[in-house]
Amino acid sequence: MASLEAAEKPKRSSNAGIEEGKRRRRRMRLITAYGFIAPAMFFFVVFLFIPLIAAVYLSFTSYDLVTAPEWVGLDNYQNLFQDPLFWRGLRNSFIYLIVTPILIVLSIGLAIVVNRKLMGIPIFRTIYYIPAVTSVVAVGMIFEFVFAEPSGLINGLLLSLGLIERPINFLTHPDSTLISIMLVTIWRGIGFYMVIFLAALQAVPEELYEAAAIDGANRFQRHLYVTVPGIRPAIIFVAVISSISALKVFEEIWVMTDGSGGLLDSALTLMFYLYRQGFINLELGYASAIAVVFTIVTLIFSIANLRFLERGTDVR
Amino acid sequence: MSASIANYRSRSRLSDRLRRWLGKTGWYLILILFALLTAVPFLWTGLMSIRPNSANVFRPNQPPEILPYPGLIGWGAGQTTARREGEYTILPWDSAAQEGAEVGWWVDYGVLLEPQIENSPLFPYMFPATTANYYRVWTDVSLPRYFLNSFVVALAVVVLQLLTSSLAAYPLAKMRFKGRDVIFYLILSTLIFPEQLTLIPTFIMAVNLFGFTDTLHGLVIPFGANAFGIFLLRQTYQSIPDELIEAARIDGAGELRIWWQILVPLIRPGLATLAIFSFVGSWNSFLWPLLMLRQEELFTLPIGLAFLEGAFTGNLRTVAAGVMVATVPIIIVFLIFQRQFIRGLSGAVKG
Repeated sequence: MASLEAAEKPKRSSNAGIEEGKRRRRRMRLITAYGFIAPAMFFFVVFLFIPLIAAVYLSFTSYDLVTAPEWVGLDNYQNLFQDPLFWRGLRNSFIYLIVTPILIVLSIGLAIVVNRKLMGIPIFRTIYYIPAVTSVVAVGMIFEFVFAEPSGLINGLLLSLGLIERPINFLTHPDSTLISIMLVTIWRGIGFYMVIFLAALQAVPEELYEAAAIDGANRFQRHLYVTVPGIRPAIIFVAVISSISALKVFEEIWVMTDGSGGLLDSALTLMFYLYRQGFINLELGYASAIAVVFTIVTLIFSIANLRFLERGTDVR
Repeated sequence: MSASIANYRSRSRLSDRLRRWLGKTGWYLILILFALLTAVPFLWTGLMSIRPNSANVFRPNQPPEILPYPGLIGWGAGQTTARREGEYTILPWDSAAQEGAEVGWWVDYGVLLEPQIENSPLFPYMFPATTANYYRVWTDVSLPRYFLNSFVVALAVVVLQLLTSSLAAYPLAKMRFKGRDVIFYLILSTLIFPEQLTLIPTFIMAVNLFGFTDTLHGLVIPFGANAFGIFLLRQTYQSIPDELIEAARIDGAGELRIWWQILVPLIRPGLATLAIFSFVGSWNSFLWPLLMLRQEELFTLPIGLAFLEGAFTGNLRTVAAGVMVATVPIIIVFLIFQRQFIRGLSGAVKG
């Protein structure tokens, strides 16, 4: 390598010259490399690193976008922990996490079904994936038609059949709003996660199933003892990403509560409270404190989730 | 062990055919049930969008009107000329037509069809479908405009992200230089932080510093780089043999030329995956445009859709038509490029 470099350069007798050339080449390479990275780095610095630091700083200030930020120390955090709406948001965000196990069970089940070699399977797979490519806003609106009172799909059908006497208050009762929105998240997610599990299933060696069958395991047992351990990495992966996206859920709630967060704030999640304080009330310092807490919650959660699943499946 | 094999064999011989047939039917039942669960909300919205009036589909003690037959079909102003008295609601462009403005074509096929199908046992389940709701949503809100805005923004995001990611990923994959690993892990670690954390400062900068409010480039520039994209393309680059690059270097090609002429064509599958991933992300993005846009003519499709409800309060059929117009083209594009889509969305997240 060194001799090759030396050959390219005008011949120099001294060792120092070779060293000099080597250093120059290394510097050139460094400049080239950083030149390639620079455009991306520019966007990261301006729209990621600076905002990251600024968010933490802002959480210690009071700021309304017009007058300069005013340092208030820990006031925002103190107020936050005494704010019933913050606790409501935190509670609702945790309730929302229930979608994760439901999504995992349903999408594994569906993946097992579409993994069978039956005629027309590709068509079914395609249909199941359609919600994943539809925008959340459109999905939210579609489900407003489904949930509508009294003439939506579900209420209209059940009422006309005489199965219910009064319409179900999917989105107009504080007790059911959040659950209804969670159903929509589940509906939209099944096909997406199904594809991930399908890829994992296809990597499980066929012989394992045969061996289990020979050992007398029935179909359910075969899936429990072969499929589940076989696709454990995919399960952990889906658990993490679906938990994090459950914590971040916003658009479904905005659309299905018309931007209000639900009757009596019944569907107010932490993310939605951040939006309301930051961009409706322009309490940007306070909202930044929510964002910091939100970040800590998601960090803790993705780590905890990983650990839990790892330990849970180790016990065989 | 041998006993269990025998047991297994005899059991499978027992009622082989019946069992398989039942099994197959069972699987199809599950498949169809889930397909219905997926499709029915869309079909219901589609049904709403072609309803001529606000009468309920489901009525007590009466058959549901769920089968459409062609009713008032057409496009353009001047719908009243084909309108039967009392059947349809009067729509706002009626007055324009009377003033001699441009008149579209409308035909009420229902008048022609009804005598023939009246006696059919299915007739109570049928209703005359109309295109009026589509025409109304197309003209009263600028849906074509929202489409164009969404498309331009998503395309710009894709181009920018492909450029920055494919440039940055090259040295991270294929060059040895000081600080490479530090930079790579720095970029990768940004994936841990939720975008919600950076949202507020980015919003403040966008409003106070960059003047991004009510601009389309304000929906593009904050998303100029994609850490995940760099991660993805770095892997793609790593699959390219070093000798190829070395040979080009010996031939005296500059790094920029190597990148553009040799590597970019080779990482095309990775680029396609990233392109779909970021296009769909931008196309469906909601919160950032919601914060940035006030002017209606700059609305992207999700924002336009969300405000459709406000624009047509009480007229759910028109809103349903808007939802259909916004979703069906994407579904068609997905059906054509299924494989690429699934790889771009589900495959990409897996890395």
